[in-house]
Amino acid sequence: MQITLTVNGEQRELEVTPYTRLLDLLREDLGLTGVKEGCGKGECGACTVIMNGELTASCLVPAPQADQAEIITVEGLGTRDNLHPIQESFVEAGAVQCGYCIPGMVLAGKRLLDENPKPTEKEVRYGLSGNICRCTGYAKIIDAVMLAADKLAVEGSDSND
Amino acid sequence: MKKFGRGMATIMFGFGYGEGFPDHSIASIEIKEDERIVIRTAAADVGQGVITTVIQIAAEILRINPNYFEVVQGDTHKTKNSGSTSATRQTYFTGNAVKKAAEDMLANLYHYGSLEFRSNHPEIAIEDGKIYMYDDPDDYITYWEMAERVKERGEKLEAEGSFFPVTYSPDENGQADKVYVAYTFLSQVIDIEIDTDTGIIDLLDVYSAIDLGKAINPKNVEGQIEGGTVQGLGMGMMEDQVIRNGKTLNAGMTDYLVPTSVDVPKFKHYLVEEEDSEGPFGAKGVGEPTLIAAAPALANAVYDAIGVRFFDLPISPSKIKKALKEKEENS
Repeated sequence: MQITLTVNGEQRELEVTPYTRLLDLLREDLGLTGVKEGCGKGECGACTVIMNGELTASCLVPAPQADQAEIITVEGLGTRDNLHPIQESFVEAGAVQCGYCIPGMVLAGKRLLDENPKPTEKEVRYGLSGNICRCTGYAKIIDAVMLAADKLAVEGSDSND
Repeated sequence: MKKFGRGMATIMFGFGYGEGFPDHSIASIEIKEDERIVIRTAAADVGQGVITTVIQIAAEILRINPNYFEVVQGDTHKTKNSGSTSATRQTYFTGNAVKKAAEDMLANLYHYGSLEFRSNHPEIAIEDGKIYMYDDPDDYITYWEMAERVKERGEKLEAEGSFFPVTYSPDENGQADKVYVAYTFLSQVIDIEIDTDTGIIDLLDVYSAIDLGKAINPKNVEGQIEGGTVQGLGMGMMEDQVIRNGKTLNAGMTDYLVPTSVDVPKFKHYLVEEEDSEGPFGAKGVGEPTLIAAAPALANAVYDAIGVRFFDLPISPSKIKKALKEKEENS
C-alpha cells in the first residue's frame, strides 16, 4: 500500500506493507540511520522520533499509521557543520559516550524544550526518562538539555529584537 | 517517613591484565603535506574516549593544536595490534604507544629540521606546527612543508611506537612484585533518603574521589565515573537478573529495570592526580574501577538510614519493607 508522510520537512510517498514498522521505513527505505533500534518493544527510547509533535517509539508504529504524519528525526535538526543548539550542547557538556541513545535523547530534549523552554532540572529528568542510557549515568545529558535551554533562550531573545 | 543515610566505600583496582600476561600496543603517526596528522591504532573507541585521549597525548608531545589530527582506528588492514579494549587498559597501553610514536615523530622533526637548517637541537625550536631557529623565528618551515620535503627525498614523515608493560607472573603462592601494571583507587560517599512506607531509595548525592594519576581529559573522566557509578547503583538497588534452571527469566527492558534519568543522583568529583605509574603523563585507567564502590557505599548508606544490613543485591524496595517490618516485630 502507498502512504504519504512528511519527514524532516520533505514530503515522501512510499510503498509499504501493512506490517512495516515506521522504524524500518525510516532506516531502510529513507536511510535515516540516526533512528536506532534498541529493545524493539517501546521500552528504551533509542528509536524515538517526533511524530505529529509527540515523542513516539517508531518501533511500535506500523507504517500505515504514519500516513499523513509529520515526522522529525535527528537528521532533521542539524548537520555536522551546522549543529542544532541542542546537539551543540550535547557536545559541549560531554554528554555523548557510545552515542547509541543520543538521537533519541536529543529529540526528547527538543520535545521538552519546545513545550517548556525553561524547565527545572527535575522537569528535564522527567522529560528524558523514557530514554535509557547505559554509558553516561545521565548527568551530562541532563546538563546538556539545561545548557540548550539557555542557548535557545538567548537565540529567542535575539530574534525578537 | 523519610530517613537520611550516608555510606562510603573505597576500592582499589588493578588494571591491564597483569600477571605476566603477554600484552602490548602499537601505534603510528604520519604527518601529511595536506595539513593532517594521522594516528593509526587498532584501539576501539566504544564511547570511553580513547580516540580523544590519544589525540590529546600526541598533540601535547608534537606541540600542535589537536584539530589537525585524525585517527584511523580498528582496521586490521591499516593498523597494527593495540590489544583489546578491555581490562581498563587502552589509555595506559595505547596512550603510551601513541606517546612513544609522537616522541619518535618529534625526534624526526628535529632530525629533518637539523638537516634543513644545518644546525642541531639546542638551536632549533619546534612549536605550533612550525620548525625554526631560535635566532630567526620568521624563517620557519611548517610541519606540512617538512612532510613535503621529506616526501621529495622519497621518504615519509612517519613514526611508530609500541608499549610493553612491566608485570610479573605470580609465584606458586599467587604473589608477585607487581601483579597488575598499575592500580586505580576510588572512594565514594553516597547520600540517600529512604521512604520507610514504600521502601524506595532516593539517591541524593554522590561524592567521588579518584586517584587516577593524571586526568588527560577531565570531562571524559567525569563521564566514566558517572556512567560506572550509575551502573553500580543499578546493581545495588534495582537490577535483578532472575535465573531458573540456567535460563534468564527477565531478559528484557520490561522486567529487568535499569536506572533512568529520574533515578540518578547529583555528582561531585575530586580528581586526585598522584603520579605513581608508567602511564602516559602518569595517567591510569578509569573505566571499570568506577563501578565497584557504588553498591557497597549504597549498602552502607542504607544501614546508616535504617540500621539494617543487607548481604545480597539488589536492595529492592520490597526487601527494605520486609526488613523494616521484621525489625519492628523483633523490637
